[in-house]
This record gives sequence, structure tokens and C-alpha cells, in this order.
Amino acid sequence: MTWSGEIDRVHIGATKQEGGTRSRVCTVGGAKNLPFLEGASEMPLIALEICDDTGSWSPIVLAYTGDVTRDAGEWAKKAEKEFGADLVRLHLTSTRKRGFSDVRGVRTTIEAVLQGTGLPLIIEGSNEPSVDSEVFSACGEAAAGERALLGTAEADRYRSVAAAAVAFGHGVIAQSPIDINLAKQLNILLHEIGMPHDRIVIDPFTGALGYGFEYSYSVMERIRTAALKGDTDLAMPMISAAADSLNIKEVREAPQEVRDETAVMWEFCAAFSAAVAGAEIVCVRHPRTLEKLKKGFAHLAGEG
Amino acid sequence: MALKALDIYKILPKKNCKECGFPTCLAFAMKIASGKADPATCPYLDEETRQKLGAATRPPIRLVRIGVGPRKVVVGEETVLFRHDKTFYHPPGLMVEIPDTWSPGQVKVVAAQIENEMFTRVGQDLFLSGVAIRNVSGAADTFQKTVAAIEEMVSLPEILISDHPEVLEAGLIECGTYRPLLCAATDANYTSFCRLATKFGCPLTVRAGSVEGLANLTTKCVQEGVEDLVMDPAATTPREFLALSTQIRKAAIERTVPAVGYPVYCDTTTYPDPDAACALGVLKYGSLIVTRPLEYSRKLAFLTLRQNIYTDPQKPIQMAPGLYPVNSPGRESPLLITVNFSLTYFTVLGYLEGAKIPCHLLVVDTEGLSVLTAVAAGKLNETLVRESLKKFGAEEAVSHRTLVLPGYAAPISGRVEEMTGWKVMVGPRDAADLPEFLEKEMG
Repeated sequence: MTWSGEIDRVHIGATKQEGGTRSRVCTVGGAKNLPFLEGASEMPLIALEICDDTGSWSPIVLAYTGDVTRDAGEWAKKAEKEFGADLVRLHLTSTRKRGFSDVRGVRTTIEAVLQGTGLPLIIEGSNEPSVDSEVFSACGEAAAGERALLGTAEADRYRSVAAAAVAFGHGVIAQSPIDINLAKQLNILLHEIGMPHDRIVIDPFTGALGYGFEYSYSVMERIRTAALKGDTDLAMPMISAAADSLNIKEVREAPQEVRDETAVMWEFCAAFSAAVAGAEIVCVRHPRTLEKLKKGFAHLAGEG
Repeated sequence: MALKALDIYKILPKKNCKECGFPTCLAFAMKIASGKADPATCPYLDEETRQKLGAATRPPIRLVRIGVGPRKVVVGEETVLFRHDKTFYHPPGLMVEIPDTWSPGQVKVVAAQIENEMFTRVGQDLFLSGVAIRNVSGAADTFQKTVAAIEEMVSLPEILISDHPEVLEAGLIECGTYRPLLCAATDANYTSFCRLATKFGCPLTVRAGSVEGLANLTTKCVQEGVEDLVMDPAATTPREFLALSTQIRKAAIERTVPAVGYPVYCDTTTYPDPDAACALGVLKYGSLIVTRPLEYSRKLAFLTLRQNIYTDPQKPIQMAPGLYPVNSPGRESPLLITVNFSLTYFTVLGYLEGAKIPCHLLVVDTEGLSVLTAVAAGKLNETLVRESLKKFGAEEAVSHRTLVLPGYAAPISGRVEEMTGWKVMVGPRDAADLPEFLEKEMG
């Protein structure tokens, strides 16, 4: 198939030469065809998701990962050294507690994660408008120079996160609720307030397998084909995280002896399919899913 | 290429005789173009025109049936490259490989599992589709025994896999009347495979490693009288499968290579990573997917993926409206309202069950629209809420008069309060925040 458009390249992470401390830079984008066909971009990247307050994190992942989950820095280190992640996505879940005010703690966590791993970072800040401004500017500043990816901008609250990204040289995740038009609109809004196209990653929102995943799959295919047909407002790389995968009934209620495997298969199917639909970055929480995806992508990319 | 209604009209006799059952030749032409009428019903067409119309108006991918009875696998007749362009119609058959070297006990266990194990999701029953019996032993009588053992136990669609016609024929003695799929004819042996397919009236798989090779082979088989064909692109890696299956689908639906207008076969057992291959087969145009036996997690995940991908994007699965008890509620438990878009319902239900909060969930009929779209379209309104409260006995089920509306229904909360006389609370927009909301506000 031949197309006229090309997906923008976005760089995540900055090495010493570029003013950061990362050991490598991840580049996503550049596709000129549908995924894994001739002329498509490289292997999708896999981000392991970690957090700084495990209260709402899947007990399956916590049990498998072990004690390091109490320390985001150690967890990030293990993500790189032991699990082989391409990126670390830090969710600052501590900011979601009622009456949150510990902005200094957020800085400390980010610094610890930067210390723990040399991988490029994705940082998910608050999801409470009243603390957005403070939290995002702390995130931006703590990771200044590292060219991180900050999340998440949405149509009704994108200014704080975009401002922090612009001020400190980071990229931004633009999330829309499974809708190609809203995805495009948000990209235009972000562009208007100074985010260059090559620092935006589209998150079309991914429902868990069996819980709306098909909508996400199709909206990713639609966004990607629109971009390849030449719509530059949609020609950004995509990120997909079926974050609910481990909370859904089929996983929670799986027989004890197969619960871990069900969790992995549930994350795997959504992440693998998202990559087939066009996602350049897929995010998972179970370390074994990461390993399984690596193998699957290698075969699809023709490297194994 | 497909003909448009006007192109068809031009070559019709234009007599408006009505003998085809349609009022005018133009009406007939429009029906032919949309695949709803057969050109052969016009008595005034010459043979050449009839053939021309037939080739241009038959479905771009042939419908092929494997097996008989309620569990038969029906694949093909797909019309698009992306499900968002219309829908994918016929979910692939997930066929479990049974080698003829297995012990009778092993065969029994696996075959029974495939026939009996079922998952129910969103109101649909999900099964694996059938068995793929593979001649690994090399011996015809061993193959025949395995087929016989399976036939004796279950009535599932079957694929018979062997490179040797005499081995397949031994199997066909046991199951030849049940439309098993034969697998696979190559350029070297297709005449003997075609003879078998004709003798037993079975569909046939052809194997070649390129679009041209497959087109040649299907053309030859059709000349031999076998039209129910399935194509194995014989890819050696998932990457190659994706490239070939995409080329095939495109060539078939655009009718640039009509000879590849048949369903595609995908044998995941030949790949080093069968899980990735299975997911890829489901996503990208596999119609018959052969897999090793799947344990619980894989089975459930792949069946769910297949269900997701083959759901019609224009017809969301709906829940029956009604009052549903969650976590054995009492008369004091809160009453929550949601819509009958199944995804919304199951998401809300998941969080409520996870949080173990007893409550009553009133599902109102928004014709499958989500909360946001139902409010925007005026379908979720105060009248619907009032009627649903009455119709499903909410007034008797709870002793209080407070209801919780979804966050996105906030704009109608005042009117609902006025019309129903119930106290209305506006819940969160995101179902994930429901447990916290209920604890804080109602606890």
C-alpha cells in the first residue's frame, strides 16, 4: 500500500550531550505505512508502568514484582535491568489522595527514579484540576533537561501540563476519549499554545480487552490511516495503555492458579493488538507481559 | 472491478417487463449492484452478459462452510480492510490441533473440552470452534482411528491435515459426510485433492506462498469443479503472514485479483510464537486459525479478542433494561442509574462488584447509547427515568427515594428531580470513582 503522509518523529529522553542524564534516547514515529508492513517504522517500544503509591495498583503485579514496589527508584531500576523495559512510565498516584499537598515528595520521587534508571521517562502527574498546576510544574522542573513525556493533557485540562512541557522542554501525551475528531482538536489546541507537533504523542484511550477494546482498536486504525493519507494534525505517534486490564472481572476472578497467566494474556492481547493498529508505545504493568510482548514484536518486525 | 448500478442498467434489456420480480430494470440493476438480486432471474440476458454480471456481483470473498449442524464454521463474505469501514462479518474458526499420534485418552479429553467448555461474556456464548486433526504418524490407518475416535465423541467441525490424499481418504471414510476441510493441496498434487473434495463434497485448502501462486491454484481447482476453497499463504513468520493476508484481502475486495476471493487459513503451530500468531490471525484477516490446545487464560483471552474485533461497530451490544441487584442489596441500599450500552453497564458493574458495595442498578433503555451520547441525543431524559423507575419496580425495591445519576447526566438532574419526585444525586463521570463516591456520599 502506498500513502502520502508520514508520522512525525518524537524523541524521548536526553543523553549527557543533549543536556540530560539518560543512557539512551527513544525515537518513535517515522512510519510511512501501516504497522509491520513494508516501510513501517521500527519495533514498538514497551513502557513498564510504576507508581509512587501502590494503594490502587494491581495486587497481582505487586506480588510478582516484590518489595521494590515500595520504592519507585528501585522499581525503575528493576524495570530496566531485570525486566528489559524500553521506557519507564511513572504514575504519581500519591497526588490522587484526598487533600494532597506534598509537592516536594513528588520531586523527590522523580529524582529517585531518574537516579534509579537511565531509561527515558514518561511522567503521569495529577488528575485533579486544583493541584494540576503545582504538580505539573514540579514534574517539569524535577526532570528539566531530560526530555521526558508528560501526561496527561485532555481537552478540558491541558494548560498546566502543556505549560510545564513547554517551559522545561518535555513532550506531552494528548488524551482524547476514543474519538478521532477530539484527538485532532486537542492536537490543534496544544499546537496553538506552543507545543510543536514533534513533541506530541496521541493517547486515543484504550479500553481493556472485552471492555471496549474494539473501539480503541478501531480509533487507532482510523487515526493512523488519516495521518498516512496526509492529515498532519493526526500525524503523531500513538501511545496505548489498557490500564484497566488487571482490574476487570475476568482477571480478578480467575482461578488462583491461573490468575497471573490471565493477567499477562489480558495485557498482552490489548498491547499487541494496539501495536498492530498503530501504537508506537505500549504500556503494561506485569513484567511478564513485557517479556512476552518483546518476543511477539520481534517476530512481527522480522527480527526473530 | 465491481459494477455500479448504472453500469449494470446499461447492459440490461431495459424492457421493464417485471419478470425478474422488480418493477423496472433500473430497480433490478440497483438490487444486483448491492448483491441482493441474482442476474440469472432476467430471462432476456444473453450468456455473455449473464456471466459478466455474475462475476462482478458475486461477493468478493466466497462464503465457505465447514462442518454441519449448530456448531458449523461459516467464514468469508468479508467486504472491508478495516472494521471501522463497515464491520467484519464472520469470526474466524479457532481450530485446535489434535495430532494422530496422541493416545486415545488425550484425544478424548481435548475433544470433549472443545465441545463443552464455554464462556459467557456480554450475553454471548463463546466456544472454541473445532478440531484440526493432523497426520503426524504418516500412517493412514492411525489417522483413520483418530478421526473415528473424535467422530464417536463429538460433533465438531474438522480440518483434516495431511499431504497424502490416501491418508485423507482414510479419514474421510469416517467423517466425509460432515463437510470437513481438507488441507492442503499444492500445485503438485491438486488434482488428486480436487478429486477427493468432489467425491465427498468437502471444502479444500490450497497452499502457495504468494498471491500469484494462490490465484493460479484456486483457478485450477475451480476448473476441476471445486469452488469451496480456503487459502494457506504458507507464511514462515508472522510478519510474512501479515504482509500476505493484507495483500490478499485488498486484492479480493477491490477485485483486482478475483481469484484470491477466498477465506485465509493461518496455522499458528508453525510459528515460534504461537500466541502472537493467534492474535494476529484474529486481527488481520485469518478465517481459520489452527492452534495448539489452549489452556484457560489463552482460551478466554483469544475468544474475547475475537468477540471484540468481530462486534459490529454500528450495533453496540445492548443489555436488557431492568433493575439489577448488585452484591445482594437491601431496601436501604443506594439506587444507581445507568444506560443499556453493554460496555457502560459492565464497566459500572465491574467497579461496584470490585468494591463489594451492595446497591440496585437501574439500567434504562437508551438503545445502546452511552451516557454522554444519550444525554446529547435527548434519549436519556426525565421521562425515561420516571418510566423506568415505575416499570422495573424501583419504588417497591427500595425504602428510600434517592437516586444517583451518572456524572455525564448532570444537565438533566433538575428535571429528573422535578418529574420523579426523587432526590437526585449526581455521581462521578468515571465509573472508577464510583466506590469512593458511594463511600463518601452514601456511607
